[in-house]
Amino acid sequence: MPENMPETLLTTVPAGWAVLAGMILCALAFFAAALDSALSARAEGAGRGGWLAPAWSTARLLRQRRRTVVAADTLLLRVGAAGMLGGSFLMVAVIPFGRWTLADLDVGVVWFNTVDVMVWALVWLAGWGANSVHGLVGGYRFLAHGLAYELPLMFALVAPAIAAGSLRVSDVAGAQDRLWFAVWMPVAFVIFLVGVTGFSVWGPFAAALGADVAGGVLAELSGVDRLVLQAGRYAFLAAGAAFSVPLFLGGGAGPFLPEWAWVVVKTVAVLAVLVWLRRKLPVFRPDRFLEIGWVVLLPAAVAQDLVVSLVVVWKG
Amino acid sequence: MGLTETLARLAVRATRILVVEAPGQWQTRVELEQQMLRLGWRPAWTPGDADVLAVCGAPGPELAQLVERLWEQMPGPRVRAAVTSPTAVTPALNDAAALLLDTPAHRTDAQERAQKPQIPAVMDHGGHGEMGHHGIDHSGMNHGGHDGMDHTSHGGMDQGQPGDEDHRTMKHEDHHGTDHSSMNHGGHDGMDHGSHRGMDHGDTDQGQPGDEDHHGMNHSGMNHGGHGEMDHSSHGGMDMAPEGIPLAQGGEDRDGLGVDVLHLPLGPVLPFWPAGLVLHCSLQGDVVVAADAAVVDGGSHADGIHSRHSGLVPAAAVRCDNLVALLTLIGTQDLAARARSARDALLHGDPGGARGAVERLHRVVRRSIFVRWSLRGVLPLAPADLERHGLPDRCLGDAYDRVLSLVERVRAEVNGANPGAPVGAERVPWGMVPHLVTGLEIGTVRLAVASLDLDPFPAVHEVGHA
Repeated sequence: MPENMPETLLTTVPAGWAVLAGMILCALAFFAAALDSALSARAEGAGRGGWLAPAWSTARLLRQRRRTVVAADTLLLRVGAAGMLGGSFLMVAVIPFGRWTLADLDVGVVWFNTVDVMVWALVWLAGWGANSVHGLVGGYRFLAHGLAYELPLMFALVAPAIAAGSLRVSDVAGAQDRLWFAVWMPVAFVIFLVGVTGFSVWGPFAAALGADVAGGVLAELSGVDRLVLQAGRYAFLAAGAAFSVPLFLGGGAGPFLPEWAWVVVKTVAVLAVLVWLRRKLPVFRPDRFLEIGWVVLLPAAVAQDLVVSLVVVWKG
Repeated sequence: MGLTETLARLAVRATRILVVEAPGQWQTRVELEQQMLRLGWRPAWTPGDADVLAVCGAPGPELAQLVERLWEQMPGPRVRAAVTSPTAVTPALNDAAALLLDTPAHRTDAQERAQKPQIPAVMDHGGHGEMGHHGIDHSGMNHGGHDGMDHTSHGGMDQGQPGDEDHRTMKHEDHHGTDHSSMNHGGHDGMDHGSHRGMDHGDTDQGQPGDEDHHGMNHSGMNHGGHGEMDHSSHGGMDMAPEGIPLAQGGEDRDGLGVDVLHLPLGPVLPFWPAGLVLHCSLQGDVVVAADAAVVDGGSHADGIHSRHSGLVPAAAVRCDNLVALLTLIGTQDLAARARSARDALLHGDPGGARGAVERLHRVVRRSIFVRWSLRGVLPLAPADLERHGLPDRCLGDAYDRVLSLVERVRAEVNGANPGAPVGAERVPWGMVPHLVTGLEIGTVRLAVASLDLDPFPAVHEVGHA
């Protein structure tokens, strides 16, 4: 059921529905954690601990006591950890769920970008607040990664916005009634996914939590602090995957199923790919990835923007 | 109570264990890892994430002290498990699971333990082996700027204690692990040495006369660096150590910029790190500007354990285990899992399965562009470097070359080839590690050390070759 006039169909729901949106986001985040844990268990031949392991880990961290280290800046630490979970909820506020949305901002794409830049501060605060060398090194590693992925991500976000002629997320989704943006601007789509992985501190971008720095930002966290930071990473991954749907994958468009169902299906598919890739890719060392970010990704994103602009001008 | 009980039962399924491997307890640790996997339990990388503290083997005095500190750092509910030998693993894990469920005991434990994290009053050498939680303790000390320092000028100090000639004789490399509260060796220019008489050394521990390397002392806020540029009066308040941790002092980095110096011990309780090795690093940012190596308990403790517990361990299995560490450090999870299954197949005495697993491992590691990308250029060693540092030929090239040669050797050994040169000639002397890693970023240090296939306690290998 392709829709030509998305603006008229989109309903902004009362703020109370944010609870439902939050629950959907949590479910998606749990799916990501469960899939990751199942893939790990299969690869390692673990006897137990597949799909349900994230539930057990949650129980474990809820039961575990919080601890701090000497002279830790507990406030900043907790702002950083809890902010990861909170930030992901802010991000989904502008994503249309079929014909409903919580906030139909006319600068929705910029809102997304604002929230993802906030992660810079959150991860760094969590690393700094712990007053531990490993956490501090981890926090700065994230900033180094951020320097490499953030600008390409911004330019990748520009491409769909140019094509749709709007920064409103529902307009961008509606502008793809014939051809998904992922198809004719694949470079922007890939760089967008790189960015999502980056701000979720996930897989290749998990150097801030690396084994070589004993967990980095996570090294000193325990109990509920660790839980919210870890849950926030999965939630950000889910939110980023969900945002790719209106931006690149045609929003709720698709045959047979209702629009909201297509949003869920597409989100789950993107999320599954991102989770699966973690096991296949190494952690990108921040120093080495900086070169890729600036020499490969950034020019590629700018070139993509140029191509998209030319196409838009040519089509008039 | 029902909810608490249910939560505890669910939680135990995801238990995380901090594994302490006493030197020579390779087999016990590997057996523990296998049993943990069977239960779906995972290793913890830090005490902050651990529910169970499992000590493999009997730790020596230094390691035992560290274990106590790690125990203090665990959040709780917490359980200790003494895994004395490979056969003790299963009962130890069963006990740990049962103890974890004992909620009332954990509640009591939480009430009785120290409610605030503390730095132990006496910091000894061993105290640094823990995983860097107090890595900033000694930040007040600047070992960087020693060049222009006149050590003999300390002779004028009267500490009123026997055995204080050590200020003249002490090696500054040995200062890791010391903590001289409120001493300022820096401002010599405008400083009145007479005032040292009035210094309060009350909180330093000089109990051992002639303790030449000052282990056990407390020199917070000490600055061996900035001679003549320090304003002594600004230190007058001596409030340089919030909660006992001196503020980080600066030092010139590679580019001549002033950067804080932090002190971080790597090992001996650190995942994917050679058991027993301790590397005391001085960091500026994440660059190791100075390092000092040691083995826990001076290595004296290991031999006895070996003769009692070690069975026949194939050298190839030990090498596969080192590969697991390296592949985990670069973050290639699936490759690490393959190396682990190859290791376990080798240990289970299943030659056919082991050969297949090693062949697959060999193939995927050689083909992986990611392994190459992550390891190329890490710690390149030319033949001249090998000679200078007394390293075996297998260390030639960069970390990628070394990992390929490691896989190659595992494959050759599994296929029944002669292990080659005698083990002694193959060994990488751990004392060389500081020379190799100084100037590297900390992640690179980890990769470099893992790529060297180090074994500070090589008895396991020798048994394997016998």
